[in-house]
Amino acid sequence: MYDAIVVAFAVFAGVAGHELLGMSMLSRPIVVAPLTGLLLGYLNTGLLVGASLETIFMGVVNIGISSTAEPSLAAGLATVFSINMGGNMGAIIPLVFPLAILGLQLMNLIFSFVIGPFAPKFRKLALEGKEKSIVGLHYGLWFLHYGLYALIPFFAVLFGSDVVRDVLNSIPKVIMNGLTVAGNMLPAVGMAMLLMMLWDNKIAAYFFLGVVLVAYLKLPLIAVATIAFIIAVVVSPRDLQLKKMATASAPDVNAAISDEEEDFFK
Amino acid sequence: MKLTQNLSKDEKKMIRKMFWRSATMYISVNPITMGGGGFCYSMIPFIHHFYKNKEDRKLALERHTAYFSTTIPFASFVMGIAGSMEKENSEKPNFDPKSINAIKLSLMGPLAGIGDSLFWGVWRVVCAGLAIGLANAGNFLAPLIFLLAFNIPNYLIRYYGAFLGYSLGSKYIEKMYSEGIIAVLTKAASILGLIMVGAMTVQMVKFKTVLAFHMHGKEIMNVQNVLDSIFVGIIPLLITFLCFYLLKKKVNVIAIIFGIMVLGVLLSVLGIV
Repeated sequence: MYDAIVVAFAVFAGVAGHELLGMSMLSRPIVVAPLTGLLLGYLNTGLLVGASLETIFMGVVNIGISSTAEPSLAAGLATVFSINMGGNMGAIIPLVFPLAILGLQLMNLIFSFVIGPFAPKFRKLALEGKEKSIVGLHYGLWFLHYGLYALIPFFAVLFGSDVVRDVLNSIPKVIMNGLTVAGNMLPAVGMAMLLMMLWDNKIAAYFFLGVVLVAYLKLPLIAVATIAFIIAVVVSPRDLQLKKMATASAPDVNAAISDEEEDFFK
Repeated sequence: MKLTQNLSKDEKKMIRKMFWRSATMYISVNPITMGGGGFCYSMIPFIHHFYKNKEDRKLALERHTAYFSTTIPFASFVMGIAGSMEKENSEKPNFDPKSINAIKLSLMGPLAGIGDSLFWGVWRVVCAGLAIGLANAGNFLAPLIFLLAFNIPNYLIRYYGAFLGYSLGSKYIEKMYSEGIIAVLTKAASILGLIMVGAMTVQMVKFKTVLAFHMHGKEIMNVQNVLDSIFVGIIPLLITFLCFYLLKKKVNVIAIIFGIMVLGVLLSVLGIV
């Protein structure tokens, strides 16, 4: 029981602290594993597990959903299992990657289906002018998100990892698959909300430029941003000139052009 | 420090408050607006100070709940600029508030591109490399050294970024506004924003069907290949436009989210995905 509480605490301190303190990397194995070890009285094992897991997960960064694994869960569990096996790390290391991938899947399920439905609430509270509730929701979602996540290592240690795996396996595969697919589609809502803000028939064609640059030319976002920046820089002086001409002489120069374009895109 | 020269005491206080709040930007991270809730939370000190009228406050709050995502060390820089624009908006009755979000959106993509590779890609790896050596030698300071080495630049950039954003904004936005440059800039920012949204739609909205038709045990048609040959990313685009259409028809966002969940499970049951 004490082991389970310690791991849950260490994983919560890691993932929740990481987010709360400005993405401070508290959730990295090099921090979570020694913390778990320290609280269990085996700091040295914690340090060694932390060092080897940090090496394994060096390339893994958790930014939003574009990640491959969530290593803090694996770090906490690997430390406890190593200590229970008398400091024998060798047997645990092959398990950590599957654990980290499972950790990410569970984190994403919480992210999409527990936190996701709360997202529109911010806008609603803002329109009602309820500043205090916005603050409450902001911190409430933090606790909910990472508190739920920390329950996973808690039960994993309490019942042993086999039981946890069995429970997860008992969820029909077709449902899990459907939820994963839905999670992959959810960002469409965020994009649609951005379009609500930006869409203007006069410049909407640029949206498709961004689409083609990624879909066909496979450019990374930074390259797309650079191209977009160049276009913005090239277009602006002409706009400024048009604006000056419009204010200087005929005020409907602008209007005539935009009407034409609008007809075209309708 | 030069950055704070022209700022009033109140302004410095607000910027400092915003800096502390900006650390938590991602704690309410969600798949719909990412750091939008946190951005709004960080802007509250500014909004409270600049708008005395309740209705104006509501509109300003609502503005900053929009989608926002960038590398956190650079977030406060954008918040600083947004803060200076809110100030302008509160003083000039015909300021176009749309320009605030347009500028935010155009900044977040490039800053995330630079910040992600710089902080997560380079600096974190350097710090971790240092700490791994120490931990293997049994040095209990390893985690602390890792955290300090990573976070000192992380916090310094976020602190000075907040002041830099606000000062730059205050210095230039008024001038640009009076010369009509803001309108041009807003359009330029919207173009940049639209291109980025198009790019992000393809990259972040993912859909792949496993549907295939067979005849005599041979696959005669792979639906995903056919879809790809029509237009790569056609389904994510259609889903996004459907959401856009529904939002325009004032359909509740929560209904859309649950609709997508049901759709995902349904498609899975039907064996399409």
